[in-house]
Amino acid sequence: MLVGISLENKFTNTSKPKDCAEEMSALLMEVAAERCKRSYAKVFGYFAPRLRSYALKQMGNEALAMELVQDTMTNVWQKAHLFNAEKGSPSTWIFTIARNIRFDMLRKLQNRKEDICSDDLWPVLCEQTPDQNEVSLDQQVTLQQVGQLFNNLPDKQKAVIEAIYIDGKSQQEVADQLAIPLGTVKSRTRLALQRLKDMLEDHD
Amino acid sequence: MINYHPTDKQLRQFAEGNISSALALVVASHCDVCVQCQTKVDEVNSELASNIENIKAHTVTDPAFEKMLASITQLPVLDTPVQKSPCIELDGRFFDVPRPLQRFVKKTGNWSKLLGKVWQAPVDLGDSSMAHFIFMEKGGRVPEHTHRGTEFTLVVNGEFSDGLADYDSGDLIVMDDEHIHSPHSNADEGCLVFSIVDKPLQFTSGIARLLNPFSHLFFK
Repeated sequence: MLVGISLENKFTNTSKPKDCAEEMSALLMEVAAERCKRSYAKVFGYFAPRLRSYALKQMGNEALAMELVQDTMTNVWQKAHLFNAEKGSPSTWIFTIARNIRFDMLRKLQNRKEDICSDDLWPVLCEQTPDQNEVSLDQQVTLQQVGQLFNNLPDKQKAVIEAIYIDGKSQQEVADQLAIPLGTVKSRTRLALQRLKDMLEDHD
Repeated sequence: MINYHPTDKQLRQFAEGNISSALALVVASHCDVCVQCQTKVDEVNSELASNIENIKAHTVTDPAFEKMLASITQLPVLDTPVQKSPCIELDGRFFDVPRPLQRFVKKTGNWSKLLGKVWQAPVDLGDSSMAHFIFMEKGGRVPEHTHRGTEFTLVVNGEFSDGLADYDSGDLIVMDDEHIHSPHSNADEGCLVFSIVDKPLQFTSGIARLLNPFSHLFFK
């Protein structure tokens, strides 16, 4: 157990940064070499409260701040042998660990962005298809395959899809050009995309 | 030779921890192969670290810290044996990747063929971003497209061009809806890139436009 190990903080307001860096370097090396809990307690006592202040400012949340402190200081304990005083000061090493852990935490915390709205993916269908579950077709489709499937569409649907997706015309322009009602353009587009989608799904 | 670097602002924000985790990953990977940018980040790191040291910390009497210290020192030491760095494999070729990407090698899925000479393998970063390794064989080309969101590309190994510029291993490229490009490789050895996008691509010419309704399925 940890009887006899106390949190020490005597460096806080007395030592100059450079002296402190040397002191901390020496302590980290003792931790690395001997698993010295006393030395670690000194390092912990110096850095943990500072990391908490830093983390609180960055994350604005006590629980997250303490999680960052815990993960960072755990790394310091378990990987003290990776500290190299020639490459930088102990504070820079520990700060860099904290920063990297912060990015990992951000990644985990990041709310799963809303599933991409089907309106973005199926612009012409936004009025007709409220279905949000347009996902997971076979991933192995290639452009060539889409081209082949496209050729299997009925001529009338193909003409509409070609005008909209390849020529970049609006639905209204297509309606004018083909002298058919706008509603017909929309329904042909919808049917064609649905058909392509069905063909893609059957395409394994 | 590396010609495309993160901006100084991005490097500073990276050091501060104030950029998206997606951008952070490609910036860190770039710095792993770019001494010049790593030096800049190191300078900011030590500046920020001394700020932390200057924080007037309270004398520690918080029982939460006592508990934390006790639980940490019960943990075993992590011996980190020198391991062979994980590589990305495609068709019997092995590619080294920057260290920040190495932990994602085992989270990389199978390669699938996108187009004639372009291959793609999805990478699960553990968040909602869409990340892939993409390999262009010599002569391989991604159809011309723009971006609904932002696309970060790090050249891992090889050279490619996109009609806007020529890129080499280590280059970091950031593209958004103001850029239209068509990446292709003419290098004999092809080109492996790591790419993250937050929205599907938008194809801009020819029959590739047909892909748009389905682009979330492949060129994510």
